Amino acid sequence: MAIVRGTKLSNRVRAVFRYFTIFLVSLLVIFPLYWMLVTAVQAPEVTLRYPPVLYPIDPNLKGFHAIFFEKQMGKWLINSGFVAILTTAITTALSILGAYALSWFKWRGKMAFGLMLLFTQMLPEALIVIPIFKIYSNFHWTDSLATLSLIHAAFVIPVGVWILKPAFEGIPKEVNEAAQIDGCTPMGILRKIIIPLCSPAILAVGVVAFFASWGEYLIAVTMISTEGKYPASVGLASTMSQLDTPIQTLLSGAIVYGLPPVILYMFIQRFVISGLTAGAIKG
Amino acid sequence: MKNRSSSQFSHIKLPYLLTLPIILLVALLVVYPISQAIWTSLTDKTLGAAVDEKINFVGLRNYNSLLHSPTFLASLRITTTYALLNVVFSVGAGLLTAILVNKKFRGRGGIRALMTAPWAFPDIASVIIFIWILNSAFGVVGILNQHLPFDTSGGWLTSSPYAFVSIIVMSMWKTFPFYSIVFLAALQGVPEDLTEAATVDGAGPFQRFKTVTLPSIRPTFVLLALLAFIFAFRQFSMIYLTTGGGPERDTETLVLAVYNTAFKYYDLALSSAIGVVGLIFTFLIAVAFLALQSRAEKSNS
Repeated sequence: MAIVRGTKLSNRVRAVFRYFTIFLVSLLVIFPLYWMLVTAVQAPEVTLRYPPVLYPIDPNLKGFHAIFFEKQMGKWLINSGFVAILTTAITTALSILGAYALSWFKWRGKMAFGLMLLFTQMLPEALIVIPIFKIYSNFHWTDSLATLSLIHAAFVIPVGVWILKPAFEGIPKEVNEAAQIDGCTPMGILRKIIIPLCSPAILAVGVVAFFASWGEYLIAVTMISTEGKYPASVGLASTMSQLDTPIQTLLSGAIVYGLPPVILYMFIQRFVISGLTAGAIKG
Repeated sequence: MKNRSSSQFSHIKLPYLLTLPIILLVALLVVYPISQAIWTSLTDKTLGAAVDEKINFVGLRNYNSLLHSPTFLASLRITTTYALLNVVFSVGAGLLTAILVNKKFRGRGGIRALMTAPWAFPDIASVIIFIWILNSAFGVVGILNQHLPFDTSGGWLTSSPYAFVSIIVMSMWKTFPFYSIVFLAALQGVPEDLTEAATVDGAGPFQRFKTVTLPSIRPTFVLLALLAFIFAFRQFSMIYLTTGGGPERDTETLVLAVYNTAFKYYDLALSSAIGVVGLIFTFLIAVAFLALQSRAEKSNS
């Protein structure tokens, strides 16, 4: 009896300890985001007080007003959206084709193709952004949002293929045989059977591509030089380097730019995990 | 009959047609730039070089000077330390928190959703937050500073070793919650009857973890460690926009060295040589990834 009571007690201690640690970890994760929200709605006089005030006093939305009307946040967001939509279209289309070739066909060079994708996925863009810039200069492709999306697509396509490949492989072979008997061509099978059945995974690829492009900074800042063409990442970074920008304005910009991907990712995290781990982890 | 053979023919060609757009894109934006980087690394080209200026082929001279360059060797060391500390802290914290939230409790769904937030948050937005938190005059980190036993008055982003500590903490904040979610998925694949059997046999929680849990999540563990290494190796904007590689060049990882050598020191050839060393690294990591993956698949089947 005493033993049973003892384990119960230690179980309770363990549970308290667990909840406390969970609470502490959540606090650490959420504090920087909380601090962003507080600073964004706080008047500068309060923000610069010492010691810092940990909760919002007299909140206002002047920062949001300033980032849109004193800076060009609206335009930057539209630019980012434009690049991201193009990137999404290219990535989704090419990833579907690539994943189909990898999952449903036997062909020479399949291994090499997979290796090439893997290498591209792991390659730090910073290593080759200068030669890419030179190639783009020769083509007169710099300072254009449309051609920027091509580079974004090239680097996110591998992730797209890895997300789709296991989904495509999950379709039973009998479906394929039945469709062939019915006279379906390989492209017909892709269009009429595979794409409709795998639409959740395809949607996930779209979201991943959209926000990979949305969040990208280095390639964008290298290729785009006209301020009116800045995507939001470049616009915000340039605002950050102007030392006279009020901190409230800057943090308001971070919220407008940063929260949409957070909200959408919460819905598709399962697919993202399998794609980024190259389909190796069954999650 | 004729129809059938033609459909088989197109079947043979089809995978190549399907992958052609990707191959063209990668050839133009990855393979060709790499060949350019390799070529430039064998010359004495500078960033300011005029179009008609003669560029000389210098063989492996740039690589030789890298071998004798203390800043390059330091950069290799910084890159490795940064990446390994990322693996230890981010993957470690990810595993610990996953074990914590693996049991059912109220609000677990909320916590899991919360955990995706830093990962999905764009780099530039994270940079803005952390520059503000770590600001030496007005940052909220000031509250912490007065309780620390060491002097941080040089600024968290502008003095060593605090700048390095700061980029580690930032990376950890951004990545460990994601690893935690991946571990959680793996933990839920651990067969429950095994855990129960171990409990009946009188195994304590640590023993259970060692004999039942750990073996079944080992492939996940190894892959995540490698992924963490790759993410750290690739990280550019978060370091570049907070410390710029400084103070001095104390946080200049390999990718920053490529950029700074070209745009701050105008030595395009040397920058390309550093880039090529980075490419070799990338290739080795990709091979290691493949090897681990095929081993994981074998142990699965």
